[in-house]
Amino acid sequence: MDQILQHALNGVVLGGTYALLGIGLTLIFGIMRVVNFTHGELYAFGAYLAYLFVALLHLDFFLSIALAALAGFALGALIELVLLRPLRSNDIDTVMLVMIGAWIALQNGEQFVWGGVAKLVPSPFAQEPLVIGPVSVAPLRLFVLGATLVLLVGFYWLIDRTRLGMAMRATFQDRDTAALMGIDVRGIYTLTFALGSALAAIAGALLGPIFLVNPTMGNLVGLKAFAIVILGGLGNITGATIGGFVLALVEEFGAGYLSSEYRDAFGFLVIIAVLALRPQGFFARKARVG
Amino acid sequence: MLRLDAITVCYGKVPALREVSLEVHAGELVTLIGANGAGKTTTLKAISGLLSLASGSIEFEGVPIANTRPRDVLARGIAHCPEGRRVFPELTVRENLAMGAYLRRDQAGIADDLERIFAKLPRLKERIGQIAGTLSGGEQQMLAIARSLMSRPRLMLFDEPSLGLAPNLVERVFEIIAEIRREGTTVLMVEQNALAALEMCDRAYLLETGQMVLAGAGRDLLENPHMRRAYLGG
Repeated sequence: MDQILQHALNGVVLGGTYALLGIGLTLIFGIMRVVNFTHGELYAFGAYLAYLFVALLHLDFFLSIALAALAGFALGALIELVLLRPLRSNDIDTVMLVMIGAWIALQNGEQFVWGGVAKLVPSPFAQEPLVIGPVSVAPLRLFVLGATLVLLVGFYWLIDRTRLGMAMRATFQDRDTAALMGIDVRGIYTLTFALGSALAAIAGALLGPIFLVNPTMGNLVGLKAFAIVILGGLGNITGATIGGFVLALVEEFGAGYLSSEYRDAFGFLVIIAVLALRPQGFFARKARVG
Repeated sequence: MLRLDAITVCYGKVPALREVSLEVHAGELVTLIGANGAGKTTTLKAISGLLSLASGSIEFEGVPIANTRPRDVLARGIAHCPEGRRVFPELTVRENLAMGAYLRRDQAGIADDLERIFAKLPRLKERIGQIAGTLSGGEQQMLAIARSLMSRPRLMLFDEPSLGLAPNLVERVFEIIAEIRREGTTVLMVEQNALAALEMCDRAYLLETGQMVLAGAGRDLLENPHMRRAYLGG
């Protein structure tokens, strides 16, 4: 029983960052219809910036994470303005090829700048795990969980309660009609991509101190983000949130009870099962009325 | 008020409109009729900025508006109520109406307009918290019209407002449009229901395969032999 609780806690900590990644990717796909292959690289970018700010520039740890998120936002906006906006009227295949190119370029850029040796981001938290009843958890992981929960709530507030969020939802549902309402659709696109990228970068910055930072770390994470998006139904934000937690829990329990060697495989087995049984995702919306 | 001068619009290389000219004066109700694919919707989309022109010009109150963005056209006072209602299906009625007033900042004015619209369409007030996709077709059309009114336009573009509605609702929609015009908003309406459109309009234009073939007062076009043969069933 204690072990189950421990795995569940670990899964929830990991799940929060998976949810951030999934939300970013599903938002970009849902609103822009862009299959964003650079998503995993934005995650790596955030992790490397955390390393740069904390380990090399000795900035405050929390400030560094915020700066990494801002830089992810800026890089996302840049990618949208330089690569995606000029391709707006091109077909999805062209855009996909360009995004694959950007993915390769970003990854090799990271390797060029930082070299192939993995980096460790130091954290200000004590190494001693906190023991809470039957479970123990590293303070750093507790911070990551708290930060992701705050971000998730903030993100839902933005989408559900603000004028901007309403404009984003309207653009998602009907782009042309949104334009007729006076929404600056191009601006919404840039903002969407920047916001999604910032979520990926902050996930990287948060997990950087837990895992090692290396140039190819974005590959697996990018794939997992796609898996989460498929699990939750394309373009479905709540689905991506739940999908993130489900994937992390499956990985955690699979690694704990079946085989830790196959940790990353369990998630993909789930995806194969989803695609075979329910290809529209578990939380796909019902067919629209009217 | 609105003047289209020899506009040509292409989809890819194929022209959908060829040198179409049209004029709407302040206070008028003008209708644009034609068969499916004649270019009626394309004309409205060119006016509201959803499509750009290959050639020609569009002026609204003396200012060129062709090839500007939809939000700039809306800000000048033209609202476009699109074909097929196009309410935001997963937003509530309240949110849909708020989207109509997206460019406005005068909260008091928005609240006043909302009350006026609810007085006219009490059904919408009853359904204020409901998700728009769950409304009936007629209710969605009323919502689409109300949403366009929320921008306080001086010129309203209606695209097939009667499409897919039961006959009694069609009548109600035309009544509402006539009322909007009586209250001082100029109207340009695209309609397939040629008879009803010609009876209620001041002037009408007829589009055939992307070209303007007839123009005149509504009652004159009702008598026009070509019009009678091709569009009025007799």
